[in-house]
Amino acid sequence: MRHQSILEYAHFRWLKAALGLSILAGAAYLWHDPPMKPYGGTWLGYALGTAGALIILWLLWFGVRKRSYLSRAGTVQGWLSAHVYLGTALLVVATLHTGFELGWNLHTLAYVLMVATVASGFYGVYIYLSVPGLMTANRGEETLDAMLLKIADLDREIREQALSLPDRILVVVNASLDGTRLGGSLARVVTGRDRGCPTAAALRALPEIGKTLSGEAANLHHEVYTLLLRKSELLARARRDLRFKARLDLWLYAHVPLSIALLAALAAHVVSVFLYW
Amino acid sequence: MKLLVISQSRNRAGRTIQVRKEIATDWVRVGRNAASEILLADPRIALSQGLIVDRNGPVYTEGEMGTTTSTTRKAVRSVRLSPGTSIELGPYRLTAIDTPPGFTGAITVELVRPPENVAPEFLSRAKRLTLASLGIPKRATALALFALVAVFFFLLPAGRVLDLPWRAPEGVAMASDRFWNPGPVMLAHQPVEQKCEACHEVAFRQVRDAACLECHQRIGHHVAQDLSPATLFAGMRCAQCHRDHKGVKSTHRDDDGLCVDCHRDVRSRANGAQSQNVTDFAKDHPAFRLTLPAGKGVRRVRQGSGPIAEASNLVFPHAVHLDPAGVRHPEKDKVKLGCEACHQPDASKRGFEPVSMARHCQDCHRLEFEPAVSSRQVPHGRPAEAMTVVREFYANLALNGVRDSFEKAFGVPGEGLLRRPGEPTAAQRQGALGLAAKKAAHVSEEIFEIRLCRTCHEVQRVEGDKGLDWNVAEVRANNAWMPSARFDHKSHAQAKCADCHDVAKSKRSADVAMPRIEGCRECHGGSLPVEKKLTSSCLLCHGFHEQRHPWDPRFRPRAAARAATGNAGAN
Repeated sequence: MRHQSILEYAHFRWLKAALGLSILAGAAYLWHDPPMKPYGGTWLGYALGTAGALIILWLLWFGVRKRSYLSRAGTVQGWLSAHVYLGTALLVVATLHTGFELGWNLHTLAYVLMVATVASGFYGVYIYLSVPGLMTANRGEETLDAMLLKIADLDREIREQALSLPDRILVVVNASLDGTRLGGSLARVVTGRDRGCPTAAALRALPEIGKTLSGEAANLHHEVYTLLLRKSELLARARRDLRFKARLDLWLYAHVPLSIALLAALAAHVVSVFLYW
Repeated sequence: MKLLVISQSRNRAGRTIQVRKEIATDWVRVGRNAASEILLADPRIALSQGLIVDRNGPVYTEGEMGTTTSTTRKAVRSVRLSPGTSIELGPYRLTAIDTPPGFTGAITVELVRPPENVAPEFLSRAKRLTLASLGIPKRATALALFALVAVFFFLLPAGRVLDLPWRAPEGVAMASDRFWNPGPVMLAHQPVEQKCEACHEVAFRQVRDAACLECHQRIGHHVAQDLSPATLFAGMRCAQCHRDHKGVKSTHRDDDGLCVDCHRDVRSRANGAQSQNVTDFAKDHPAFRLTLPAGKGVRRVRQGSGPIAEASNLVFPHAVHLDPAGVRHPEKDKVKLGCEACHQPDASKRGFEPVSMARHCQDCHRLEFEPAVSSRQVPHGRPAEAMTVVREFYANLALNGVRDSFEKAFGVPGEGLLRRPGEPTAAQRQGALGLAAKKAAHVSEEIFEIRLCRTCHEVQRVEGDKGLDWNVAEVRANNAWMPSARFDHKSHAQAKCADCHDVAKSKRSADVAMPRIEGCRECHGGSLPVEKKLTSSCLLCHGFHEQRHPWDPRFRPRAAARAATGNAGAN
C-alpha cells in the first residue's frame, strides 16, 4: 500500500473541511454590512471569534489526544491531518475576526501568537514530510542503537589491533577511543557535527605517521586506519541521525510554548473585551 | 543442500546449550531478517548478511548481496566452509565442523560478543542524544510564557480595574489597562481615552447611553421620543451606530447604508412619515421641499408639485432693482445694484442676514412725507407713530411755519399763526388747527395708500370708530427655505448667485428662486464615486440628530420663524 501522508488523509477530508470553512467565513465577511467597519465586535465578529476560539481549544487538545493511546476518538493520524488543516483555516477565520484592525495591544498579541504558532506548525509539517525520508535513507536498515553498538564493537577491535603499534600511533588512536562522543550538547545535536572529534583527528594524523612504518606494523597500521574509517563513517551517520531527530523535535519547542502562551492571551483577550464591553 | 546448524549459547550457569537445526534448501540465508534460515538477531548484523550455497560443499558468500554495511572483519566475498574454518560475522562466530553423514555441511553459530559485553566507554559518551535528554525545557518554557502573558496582560490590569486583592498602586505603569485598548478613539474622545471607566462604567456591561449623555446632553433625537415611530429606536443604544476605537475620525459610517435601511421604504417603518422614499442622491431622491411661512407657523411644499408663491406681503420686483442700467437714487443719478447690496452673509458665512429696511432700502426709499418743505421722515415700522409725526409736523407748521414753508405745505397764502402780529382769535386758532388736521389726514392717507408705505407694503384701509386707520400687513419674507438642510453658502462661493437663484427677470415678490435638485446634481453625485461629481452621502446635507426632525409635525424651523415674525419691516 502506498504511504499516505497526513495531508492526504481520508482523501483530503480535512482539506475540504478547512477550505469550506474558509470560504464560508470569507463569503460572510464580504456579505456582512457592519455598522462602522468590520471588527471583532459585530455579530459576524463574535461568530468568527467564537469559531476561532473553539478551533484553538480543539487544536490545543491535540496535545492531549496524541498521548491518549487508548482513545477511540478517531486515529491520531486523522487528528493530525485535521490539526494541520483546521490550523490553517484558523488563519483565515481569526484574520477576518480582527477585521484587519491591528495595534499595540493584547488583542493583537493574541493574533500574533496565533500566527506564530500556525507558522511554526507549517514548518513542522514541512519537517515531518521531508525529514523522515532522509532519516530512513541515512539509517539504512540499522537503528541508532545498532550503529552505537557497532561503533563500540569497532572500538574494541581497534583497541586490540592498536596495542602493538608504536606509541605515537597509540596516542592518537587512544584519543579516538577515549574521547569520541556523540550528542551531549545542543550545538552538536542540532548541527550533527563535532569539530573536535578525536576520531577525525586520528584519521587526519595516521597517514602521515604511517609513512615511517614497514612490515607487520604497516599492515596493522593499515588495519587500524580502515577500522577508524568505518568508525568515522558510522559516527557521521549517527550524527546525521541525531540532527534529523533534533529537527523533528526542535520546532515543537517553539510550537508548543507559543500555543500555550496563545491560550493565555486568548483567555485574557476574551475576558478583557467583555470586561470593557 | 542440507545443512546442520548448531546454535551455541550459554545459560546463566555458564553451561553450553546447543540447539540443532537441519536446513534443506537450495541456499541458506544468513541475517537479521526473520526470513533468514540462520537468524542472527543482533542489531549489528545486516538484515540479509550473506548466503551459504552449495558449491561442492558449503560456501559462505556475501559480496554478491551488495551489502555495504558488512561487519565481517574482512571484506570477504566468499569463504569455503571446510571443517575447522571459522568466520566472524559481527558479534557471531560461524565455525564449520565435521560434516555428519547425509549432510552437505555443518556449522556452529555462537554469539561471542553479546551487546551487554560491549565495551561501555563509548556508549557512556553517547548518552544525551535528543533535545529532551539534553534537558531543554519545553513544558517549563510554555508555562513561563503562559504566566508572563496572564500576569502582565490580564491579572495586573484586571487587579486595578476590578479592585482585586493584588491591586497594584495607582501609577504603576505595568498594571495599566492600556493594552486592552483595541484601537484609537475618535479625536473628540481622546481627553478620556486613558480613562476607560469614563465610558465602560460597569465591568462586563455594555456601554450605556447614560455614559454618552453625560457629555452629549443636548443631542437631539431623530424622531421625538413621544412619537410612535420613536419606538423604532426603542431598545437601541448609541453604541449600535456609534462604534468607537475605530480610528480618530469618526464613530459612525459615512455611507448611506444606515439611512437607506429605513428610508428606502420609510412608511413601512413609520406610518405617518411625510418624507418620501430615498436611496441615493443621484438616482433616487425626491424633489426638495421648501419651508414657507403659513398661518402662525410654516408649511412645507415640494418643488414640482405645483406653483409655489411666497406670501411675504411685500411688493418687491427683483427685476427692477437688478436692472443692468441701474435704479434711480434720490441724490445720485443712477445706482447699479448687485445681490450683495441687500443680501449680506451672516457671521457664519453659511447664510445671510435678514434684509432690513434701515440698512438696505432706506438709502433710496426715504420716508419723506413733505419733501418740498422738510427732509423729515416718518418712523418705519410704527404706523401710529408715523401718523402722530405727520400731525405734529403740520400742527407745528400751522403755528410756527415761515411763510414759504407754510404756503408750500398748505397751498394757501399765509404763515404760522404765532408769527402773525397780535393775539390770535378763537376763530383763527380753530382755523389753523383745522388746516393742520385736514392736511395731516390728507398726507397720512397719501403715504399709506399711494406713496411711501404703499410702495413696498400691502396696506389695508380701516375706517373705525376713532376715524381712519391703516393696517400694514405683517412682512413674512422667508429667510430659511431649507432650514434642516446643511447648506453652506461659503462652500459654494465660487459660483455666482445667479447660477442657482435666477431672479433677474422676477417682477413679483411672490416668485420663488430656490434651486431645484437637478441643479445640485450638476455637481453632486450619489453615494458612489462618479467622474467629475462630488460623491454625496445623506449626511452631507442632512443631520440625524436634529433637535426636531422634519418628520415631526410640530417641527418649526428656527431660522424661518425668525424671518416670519415681527411687525411690518421692523427690521
